[in-house]
Amino acid sequence: MDAVLAFLTVFTHPELLLLVGLGTFAGVYVGAIPGLSVTMAVSILISFTFSWDVHPAIALMIGIYMGGVYGGSRTAILLNIPGAPSAIATALDGYPMAKRGEAGTAIGVTTVMSFIGGFIGIGVLAVAAPFVSDFALKFQPRDYMLLAVLGILLVGSLSTGSLVKGIFAGALGIAIGAVGRDPLTFSERFTFDLPLMQGGISFIAVMIGMFGVSEALMQLHHVNKDAVRQQISRIVPSLSTVKKHLPLSVQTSAIGVLIGALPGTGGDIAALMAYDHAKRVTKNPERPFGDGAMEGLVAPETANNAAVGGAFIPMMTLGIPGDAVTAIMIGALFIHGLNPGPMLMIDQPDMFWFIVGALVMANFFMLLFGLTGIKLFTKIVEMPRSVLIPLIMLLSIVGAYAVNNSLTDVYWMLGFGFFGYFMRHYGYPLGPVILGVILSRLLDDNWRRAIISEREDLGRFFHGVFTSPLSTVLFIAVILIFVSQTPIWAKAKAKLLGGSGQGVEQ
Amino acid sequence: MTKIETDHHDGTSDATPGGYEGQRRPGELVFGALLTLASLVLLWDAWGIENTFGPNGLSSPRAIPLATTLVMVIAAAVILLKDMRLPRVTGETVMKDILPTTVIIVAVLLVAFGVLLKPLGFLPTSALFLIATIKLLGDRGWGWTIGVALACLVLIWIVFRIVFTVLMPAGIVPEAELIQVVRNLFEGAK
Repeated sequence: MDAVLAFLTVFTHPELLLLVGLGTFAGVYVGAIPGLSVTMAVSILISFTFSWDVHPAIALMIGIYMGGVYGGSRTAILLNIPGAPSAIATALDGYPMAKRGEAGTAIGVTTVMSFIGGFIGIGVLAVAAPFVSDFALKFQPRDYMLLAVLGILLVGSLSTGSLVKGIFAGALGIAIGAVGRDPLTFSERFTFDLPLMQGGISFIAVMIGMFGVSEALMQLHHVNKDAVRQQISRIVPSLSTVKKHLPLSVQTSAIGVLIGALPGTGGDIAALMAYDHAKRVTKNPERPFGDGAMEGLVAPETANNAAVGGAFIPMMTLGIPGDAVTAIMIGALFIHGLNPGPMLMIDQPDMFWFIVGALVMANFFMLLFGLTGIKLFTKIVEMPRSVLIPLIMLLSIVGAYAVNNSLTDVYWMLGFGFFGYFMRHYGYPLGPVILGVILSRLLDDNWRRAIISEREDLGRFFHGVFTSPLSTVLFIAVILIFVSQTPIWAKAKAKLLGGSGQGVEQ
Repeated sequence: MTKIETDHHDGTSDATPGGYEGQRRPGELVFGALLTLASLVLLWDAWGIENTFGPNGLSSPRAIPLATTLVMVIAAAVILLKDMRLPRVTGETVMKDILPTTVIIVAVLLVAFGVLLKPLGFLPTSALFLIATIKLLGDRGWGWTIGVALACLVLIWIVFRIVFTVLMPAGIVPEAELIQVVRNLFEGAK
């Protein structure tokens, strides 16, 4: 009964309802404006909602997240620039459709399919999270440590770019997270004897720098490009179109939830896998894939929105984020005094159900805003970059300053912004850095707990790993990721599959 | 993994990080070398982390920093060695594709923003910053530039000062007094 009441919190408080709506609205447009990303929006917003109560802050951010994952598809369809990583696959068939003048249909189908996918994801979250959290109570510290390593590695290996660069980025993140006084022994770490480093580096400064300023600097390269005008006609799709693709959408939603629920993998991977799946099961698409096949839109869009619900499972039950955006959401929960992990479900189950309720509401708002306001949309997307970029920079500075009222944070933010700018240029993924920063503490604490309980003996530690089925699986997964990137793996694969080597993903 | 080819190899969005496969961009070697060097410094620093309460064993505060910086050094070295063997991208230069003048100027303006924020206060600094950057990027008349910059600033200030109650350094503008004057006006009307 309490769960139902907590679930209904959003629906019974007009101001929370309004905030979810406002967040979703903002998310759709932020995701849709090239040069603005959900990650950027959520990281800047954390600092502004810092002084708020936890409920309104979370309501706003959930709206932005849900709307943003969907909004990223807009620019993918209209401009062939995915607004969010999860919309990469959407561009493959969405853009060809738009070029043929079917942008309206593409957006309509995308919206409805995102809605369906979103619901399936939330449903699974509501049913599965309590079980996962029960199970998570049995996790040993070493399991948490392995999960954290696995998450960082997965983000590094599956996002575009090379694994070594991903590993570097992840390790850098962990090191950044370790700066300051060690919470257990109070020893100074990476402080270089500077008093100002003792408190550590604010992770919000890192986030805003990497996702706000560095992206805005990147956009300077394209400042002279004119905004693209698109004629968009009717966008509400016919019932028969939806019905026709319903079976596929259920399958791809399932893929989305599953991939989303794995620690370290989020909507981007889910969307690409779903796209591959659709390619395999669709025997006779009306148009070939890559040339504007409707199935090529349905699959990634259901999957990435289903992955939102899926990604909340490890985030809420284990405290391990699925991707950069969920990492930032975890940061937001921390700031508001919540501690995502198995104890959250026991100590504050109402918080969990409140979040589920907010997600449901955000999903409805997404459908509403996705299918209406197309005129306003085209106006906003045409906002000149020469105004947009300075505004993003201004907001980034205000955001970095606002959390601690400290100029030091502003300088850190700018430093990481410039650094992230070069990382982007040279193909270093930024997601693992943020994941590393967020997971640094968890990794450190759990490693030390695990090794202390084994009397600082590595032999006993590995004995423990291999006598517990869970630890063994996690450990093997970590090793597999490494091996899969080496030439040995490619050779073995070629041998096993007789040289065809096609079915295995990267 | 399916990869899409857009015209943007430079990490325009989160979704498509920059860099080329099998080629190295101008300045990539220098960046790689700097990262390797920085990682080495961090590794050295991690080695110096002392446990206040006991031996520097596996559970000491230096364990994870040491491990991660070691990983950083190895990864950075591997990247550097790989990059050295790659051919350079033809037709790209640092000045044109990596660090054009506009980026440098905006970066300087950003730092200047940080420096002036405290002494000058949020409103004047932001106004100067917005006018300078919008003029630089937009290439429009002064009237348009100043109008748009100030309109945006007022909007941002109202939203963040009133809705989000974010307090920025007031500097030379008596912000609090201004708000009080406005409040008094409304009080008076009652």
